Amino acid sequence: MEPVTHKYLKILVTGASGFIGRKLCYSLAEMGFEVIGLCRNVDHPFLLQHRNIQYVEGDILDQQSLDAAMSGCYQVYHTAAMAKLWCRNEQDFFDTNVTGTKNVLNCALRMGVDRVVHTSTCGVWGPTLNLPVSEDDPRAVGFPIDYERTKYLAELEVKTFVKKGLEVVIVNPSRVYGEGPITDSNTVGKMVSGYLSGTWHFIPGKGITAANYAYVEDVVQGHILAMTKGRSGERYILGGEDICFNRFFSTLEQITGTKRKLYRIPIELIKTFSIMESIKSKCFGFQPYFLPEFADRLKFNQRYSSQKAVTELNYQITPFKIGLQKTVDHFQNK
Amino acid sequence: MKNLTALITGASEGLGKSFAIECAQLGFNLVLVSLPETGLEFLANYLRRNFGVQVFCMETDLTRNNSDVEIFKLLETNKLRVNVLINNAGIGNWSWFEEKDPDFYRAQIELNVTNTVLLTRSFLSHIDKSEPSYILNVGSLGGHFVVPKKQVYGATKSFIGYFTRCLQLELKSTNVRVSLLSPGGINTKSELLVMNKNLKGFAKATILEADFVAKVAIQGMMKGKKEIIPGFANRLLLTVDKVIPSFWKEILMRRNLKTILSV
Repeated sequence: MEPVTHKYLKILVTGASGFIGRKLCYSLAEMGFEVIGLCRNVDHPFLLQHRNIQYVEGDILDQQSLDAAMSGCYQVYHTAAMAKLWCRNEQDFFDTNVTGTKNVLNCALRMGVDRVVHTSTCGVWGPTLNLPVSEDDPRAVGFPIDYERTKYLAELEVKTFVKKGLEVVIVNPSRVYGEGPITDSNTVGKMVSGYLSGTWHFIPGKGITAANYAYVEDVVQGHILAMTKGRSGERYILGGEDICFNRFFSTLEQITGTKRKLYRIPIELIKTFSIMESIKSKCFGFQPYFLPEFADRLKFNQRYSSQKAVTELNYQITPFKIGLQKTVDHFQNK
Repeated sequence: MKNLTALITGASEGLGKSFAIECAQLGFNLVLVSLPETGLEFLANYLRRNFGVQVFCMETDLTRNNSDVEIFKLLETNKLRVNVLINNAGIGNWSWFEEKDPDFYRAQIELNVTNTVLLTRSFLSHIDKSEPSYILNVGSLGGHFVVPKKQVYGATKSFIGYFTRCLQLELKSTNVRVSLLSPGGINTKSELLVMNKNLKGFAKATILEADFVAKVAIQGMMKGKKEIIPGFANRLLLTVDKVIPSFWKEILMRRNLKTILSV
C-alpha cells in the first residue's frame, strides 16, 4: 500500500490535534511518510493513531521542544493556531499565532528544512464586498476580530522569512467542515450536530448571506499539494462552495430527512445579545457564546474563489452536498 | 454625485486604501497615487472588477520636488479630469524629537505640508470652480492637542487645520467644498495593529477601523462639513478639551507625560 519513495522521510506537523492537523497527520502517514505530530498533550483524545505517526509533546512557544521535534524533518506543516472565538487572555492570540509562527519558521530556517506549508485562513481577507475574494485582493475592512488580525500578522512574518531564503507556501482555508471533533472553532460541526439533536433553532438574519465551506479532506489534500506544487511566498485559497444559511439548512434537511423549525433571528437582535455576552465576559470572565464583532460579520458575504489552487495545484473541491452528507454520517454513527 | 473622479494620495495602504474602496463603492472613478511597488495595481484591479469604476494608477514619490506638477501634467496627457482631491498621504511618528534624524523630518514636512499645499494649489487651477468639487484634507485629532512624541507630526497636522479653515473662507463663493478630517488613532499599519491593541479603557475607545473612518469622512465631505471627527469618544474628547480650564489641562498633560516617560 505505502509507496516506498516516501519511506523514512520525516515530516513535522504542528497542531497535530487540530481539526486540520489531525487529518493531515493521518493522510501523510498513509502516504508512507514518517510523521512527527507536535501537540501539547500526547494523550489528547482527538489524535488519530497510525503506526507511521509519532506524537511528540511540545509547544510552539517553547523553542527547545520545537528544536527537538523538528530535528531531522525535511518538511514542516505549520497548522497550529489559536482559532477560538474568544480567549480569556487576548494576548494568547498574538502569542500563539504570531510569536508561535515566528518560532516555527525560525527553527525551520536554522535546521535547513526544505519547505514549510503555513496554514493561514481566508479570515485575512474577511468579508466580501462584491465578487468572491481571490488571492491578490486587498483586505477591504479593518481587523475587529483578534483571530483574523493575528493570522494576518503571522502572514507578514512568513513574508520576512521568505525574504531570508526559507521556502514557505501559505494556504488559506475558508470555513472548514467535515468529520472531526466539535470544538469552539468548528462552527459547522456545532450547527450540524445541533440540527441533528434538535437543539439548533435559528437562522441568522434573512439567511441570505453566504460563506465559503471547505471540506476537510479537500483542505488536507490542498496542504499536501501546496507542499509539492505550490510556489514559495505565494498564497492559495483552499475553499469550497459559497453557500448561504438558507441553502445550508435546506441541504441539511434533504440529507437528514428531518425538518426542524428554524427561526430567523434579526441580526440586530443577535448584535444586542452579543453585546450583553461581551459585557458578561469582560466583567466576569465567562466564556461568551457570541461576540459583537462576529454579529457584524453576519451582515456580509464571505465568498472566496479557489481558482488559483485549482489551476496551479490541481486542488479538488468536493460538492457541498456530498461533503455535508459525510459529515452527517459521521455524527450519526458516533 | 454624477461623474465624480477622485485623486487620492497614499492610496495603497491604510486609510488611503479605505478611501479608495469607499469611493469606488459610491461609483467614483479614481486616480490613485502611491509609492512604487506598494501593490497599487492589485488594489486598482480589485476596484475595477468589483465596482466597475475606472481606476488610473500613478506610482511616484510625493516628497520629490515638482511631484504635484507632474501629477497634474500626467492627468492632462491622459485626458483625465478630477473633481475630488483627497490629501491623505502622510508620515507619522511616535518618538522623542532627537530620536529621528533630520532627513526624516525633512521628508515628513515635505509630504505632510508642502505636498498638501501644492497639490491643492494645482487642483484648484485644474478644476472648474463653479462645478461641484471637493477637497478632503486629512488632519489629525492630534492637531488639536499638544501631544509629546508627536511634536513634528502634530505641528504639520495643525498646519493642515489652519490651512483648511482659511481655504474654506476663501472659497466660500465657489462651488468647492473643503473639509478637514480629524481622526483619532486608526488601526492601519501592522505595528499599529499590535500597539493599539495594548491600549486600555478610554484610549482604546478612541481607536477606529480605517473603513469606518473613510465612510464617515466621505459622507461628511459630500455634505460639505467643515470638520469631520469620526467616533463618539473622539468628539467627546474634543468637547471636554474645550471646556476644561487650561491649568487643569496642563496638570493632566504633565501626569500623562510622566507615564510616557516611565514606559
